[in-house]
Amino acid sequence: MNHLLPFALSLAGFTALAFAVPRQQRDIIGRPLQPTTTYVLRVAGTCALLFALGILVAEKGWSIGLVMFSGHTSIAAGIVLCALIGQARMVR
Amino acid sequence: MSTLHTWAGLLLGWVLYAMFLTGTVSYFKDELSQWMRPELPRLSQIPDQAVVAQRLADELGNIAPGTSQWSIRLPDERNNSVYAFWRTTPRNPGQRGFGEGNFDPATGQRVASRDTLGGEFFYRFHFQFHYMPVVWGRWLAGAAAMFMLVAIVSGVITHKKIFVDFFTFRWGKRQRSWLDAHNSLSVFGLPFHFMITYTGLVTLMALYMPWGEQVAFKTPAERQQLSAELSAFIQPDKPSGQKTALASVADMVRQAQERWGRDSIGRVTAVHPGDAAARVSVARGEAGRVSMSPQYMEFEGATGKLLTVRESVGAAAETRGVLYALHLGRFSDTEMRWLYFLVSFMGTAMVGTGLVMWTVKRRQKLPDPGCPYFGFRLVERLNIASIAGLSIAMTAFLWANRLLPHPFESRADWEVHAFFIVWGLTLLHAVVRPARSAWVEQLWAASALLFLLPLLNAFTTQRPLWHSLVEGDRVFAGIDMMCWALALLHAVLAIRTARQGAISQSRIKPKRQAPVVTSREAAG
Repeated sequence: MNHLLPFALSLAGFTALAFAVPRQQRDIIGRPLQPTTTYVLRVAGTCALLFALGILVAEKGWSIGLVMFSGHTSIAAGIVLCALIGQARMVR
Repeated sequence: MSTLHTWAGLLLGWVLYAMFLTGTVSYFKDELSQWMRPELPRLSQIPDQAVVAQRLADELGNIAPGTSQWSIRLPDERNNSVYAFWRTTPRNPGQRGFGEGNFDPATGQRVASRDTLGGEFFYRFHFQFHYMPVVWGRWLAGAAAMFMLVAIVSGVITHKKIFVDFFTFRWGKRQRSWLDAHNSLSVFGLPFHFMITYTGLVTLMALYMPWGEQVAFKTPAERQQLSAELSAFIQPDKPSGQKTALASVADMVRQAQERWGRDSIGRVTAVHPGDAAARVSVARGEAGRVSMSPQYMEFEGATGKLLTVRESVGAAAETRGVLYALHLGRFSDTEMRWLYFLVSFMGTAMVGTGLVMWTVKRRQKLPDPGCPYFGFRLVERLNIASIAGLSIAMTAFLWANRLLPHPFESRADWEVHAFFIVWGLTLLHAVVRPARSAWVEQLWAASALLFLLPLLNAFTTQRPLWHSLVEGDRVFAGIDMMCWALALLHAVLAIRTARQGAISQSRIKPKRQAPVVTSREAAG
């Protein structure tokens, strides 16, 4: 079972979602992004997460697929947060 | 709602922290058990389960002749010993009605290894504690789980903004940072935390809520049907009294292997072996299916004839089976187990940060920080002993495993006593020392004990780290390296706590003391 692709998708999904939040845009880029860009980021992030779920469910069935998805997303979100903290600390 | 969240979290918070941490390591309980029996060689490949089952059936015939039931768990990828238990007739009232032991799959003899509970201790402690009747422990665990459920639901309502502030962490802002850390840890694992708490209650639901069952099932036949839905154990009927040897157990296991795969057999159970009325059930293992519902083949013991194959249960029983399996995570492969471990670790940190936050919030409002009121001091000291102290106690348990002589009378019990003695000492230490010094000293102690454990292992066993790495022994190498990773984590926390202490002491306003630990610490 290859965990790599769904995990990469979860990571990409949460990264996109993080950039779609006004506070993070202000902190990282220094200015708010265009509403359209924010919207696209939000849709892309959601799609990436759904895609990860789709792959896991297709390969492992609903039961194990959902459990794996929960694990992947939790860790991916944690990594994105740690990266944001690290970035904020470097800037300071 | 906020008050409810605070008190639901605090009142059984120390119990919950201990349950979370021991539960987290229990995802690797089989690996820990292997590490704690270093004399038993690692299985580079799984032996044929049919052969091992026959070997054990013969051995149990010698050890427990005339038993009404025995059951063996066959070796698999994660177990290099065979666990067996058998019913005995207690001679005195109050005596346990069963015997148990670990056996060497290669010889069928009892393992010639040190006497230890292994990872099983953390697993059992996780839901029934120790030094108290099992039923009391389980009720306490149930109460704690109920509090946890209340804390999760009220927490989501209280911290309404957790989803909006999903990616927010404000560094160096004391209470704010603590809250952010607590929120992040909670919200990332929210599906997991909710699932693990709810399913934890489901695992013991028959104990907590027996009334429905008592009303619905009155006759012995109905009860038997219920238990058949829940487990692969066959309830022993009356023996015939006529002696007949058991047919080939290996053949029965082979039939099950043809159905489910070579290494997919979990348990073999026999009732009245050696009697004409004997029956044997061969149950499917837990790997690869998210359900604890029994799947088994039942054989006539005397002839080896297949009687029934059970592969499904009713919808209600299956729901329970799935929830049960989700909690234990035994269906998972190695990667999945690591995910379970990591998210569960985050849950431990969530409980820990929550506990520490209680003191962080109140410290600022203390009229005289030099002399806080009793309740504050109590929570502060209990936090130290139950968070940093538990790390020390758990490591001490592993130290005791390597240091206690063997053979030695009730050795396994003394390993457990060592755990509690050390834990008690950490509480004593937390009470007599100033709070911040106690945190720093205990974190350093945990770090040092964890760092030195692989060295102790190298001196006291034939399986030092370099040897394990060369041999490709993942269990021993993994645990040694995990110890170092955790030692590093505790060292970082100790340094940060000490530094924060120094900063806040140099401030003019002694009122605004820094929080004593950082978010990760709780995880330690």
